[in-house]
Amino acid sequence: MRHVFAIASRELQSLFVSPVAYSVMTLFAVLAGFFFLSGVLQFQEYVIRLQAFQMTEQLGELNLNDHVIAPFLHVMSVVMLFLIPGITMGLFAAEKSNGTQELLLTSPITIWELVLGKFLAAAAFVALLVALLAVFPALLFLFGDPEIGKTLAGLGALLLVGLVYAAIGAFASSVTQSQLIAFFLAFVLLLVLWMLGFLADLGAADGAMASDTVGNLLRWLSTAEHFESMVMGLVETKDLVYFAVLTMGFLVLTKTTVESVRWR
Amino acid sequence: MIEARGLSKRYGDLVALHDVSFSVQPGEVVGFLGPNGAGKTTTMRILTGFLPPTDGVAAIDGHDIFSDPLAARRAIGYLPESPPLYPEMSVEGYLAYVAKLKDVPRSARSKAVDSALDRCGLGDVRRRVIGALSKGYRQRVGLAQAIVHDPPVMILDEPTVGLDPIQIREIRSLIGSLAGEGSARTVILSTHILPEVEAICRRVIIMNRGRKVVDAPLDELRQTGSLEEVFARATTREIVTEEVAS
Ligand SMILES: Nc1ncnc2c1ncn2[C@@H]1O[C@H](COP(=O)(O)OP(=O)(O)OP(=O)(O)O)[C@@H](O)[C@H]1O
Ligand SMILES: [Mg+2]
Repeated sequence: MRHVFAIASRELQSLFVSPVAYSVMTLFAVLAGFFFLSGVLQFQEYVIRLQAFQMTEQLGELNLNDHVIAPFLHVMSVVMLFLIPGITMGLFAAEKSNGTQELLLTSPITIWELVLGKFLAAAAFVALLVALLAVFPALLFLFGDPEIGKTLAGLGALLLVGLVYAAIGAFASSVTQSQLIAFFLAFVLLLVLWMLGFLADLGAADGAMASDTVGNLLRWLSTAEHFESMVMGLVETKDLVYFAVLTMGFLVLTKTTVESVRWR
Repeated sequence: MIEARGLSKRYGDLVALHDVSFSVQPGEVVGFLGPNGAGKTTTMRILTGFLPPTDGVAAIDGHDIFSDPLAARRAIGYLPESPPLYPEMSVEGYLAYVAKLKDVPRSARSKAVDSALDRCGLGDVRRRVIGALSKGYRQRVGLAQAIVHDPPVMILDEPTVGLDPIQIREIRSLIGSLAGEGSARTVILSTHILPEVEAICRRVIIMNRGRKVVDAPLDELRQTGSLEEVFARATTREIVTEEVAS
């Protein structure tokens, strides 16, 4: 465990020495501000319009959670699709191009300690991003009365999906020594995973899908499917299991690829 | 202290190492010689656990590198061919990190770092960022990294490459002092500089095309001619016999 923390803290330090961490955070904050503001303005406009037409029923159904916070978190999860790979691309690739891999693999540490240390650093960064993001919904508590439970579930969903991204990014970084390739590989993997449900629907409509089981499997694998129900405040065991399985699965894959350097 | 038995390494069709065996006793300083591509780095990488051999076994300080890898690696200070440095870290930050990886207990860590800085002449640059150091100083940081946990076995892959003559002398005397009389530290170092071997080592292993061709005390070799002659004979003979064979 000591080694895990040593590796994680070194990784975070070098992340914050380079411009990468700051660029990602700035871009994330700017995009978050933009989407949040436009979401709130849209909501306001909608409320005014409903009031003008005296549609009290619809007005009663409107709430900040479902109509501002959830869509906002949703769009930010898409933003994370291409920002997290920027953070994870160097995790292993940089060690390889640096030659420091030789130090790590000849030190008395296990591959698991190495992989978990790297993942922990990326996870801490994801947590930081989500904490940054939490400021925006928090503002709504000053002016309105969103449900706190639902809001927290949404932020939790974003954190969990971010951890999945981090594990996938770590894996992408472990298969190459080029950070650029690691970035694009992670991005493509994440994008495909995100859209699997959509692809399954497309396949079903075409009738090209071999069977319903395949379609259901694809839909189950898709991050979007699980994220969407949780971001609406529905915390279900099956979604939690999904996030845990995917994160751990990719960490195991990462461990295997790092180890395989030894067996070439 | 170091036991290598029948080590072989193949990269695809290329045989980089063929049936190499040797053992090094505690306190011995062994010079590892051979032309480019002879297999020196490959042997060192196998001993340090970075690469698995295709065949053969090795043990460090009594710990098998497969069945007890962590203990074996803990006993080794290793300077790879290119020093494994993080350019964005400070010299002392880096050494403290390596000390953590090598299981130096927390209470002894800052002393270990100070002593490594001191022994490698890095006191003046301890707070500097590694990426901003000259090549020679980076090499010294690499060496400091290899000794920070005071290992009983040191494996140094061309430790003096890229250094100026004065630094070479200093590093040589440093290695000499690390392995000095009375200390039971075992050192294997590879180099292309023959006088370096004569200055530091008491025993020489010469590799050629993946095979061990000479393994003898320096004194003994000197009786049959200069080290340069021995080297030339050992590394050309192989080629001649191979040509005859084919
Ligand atoms: N990763 C690798 N893939 C394929 N071949 C390799 C690899 N590493 C080394 N080799 C080959 O193995 C042989 C031995 O290389 P090695 O680096 O051990 O030589 P060396 O004695 O250290 O040489 P030098 O004096 O140039 O450092 C060489 O023919 C080299 O081309
Ligand atoms: Mg070499």
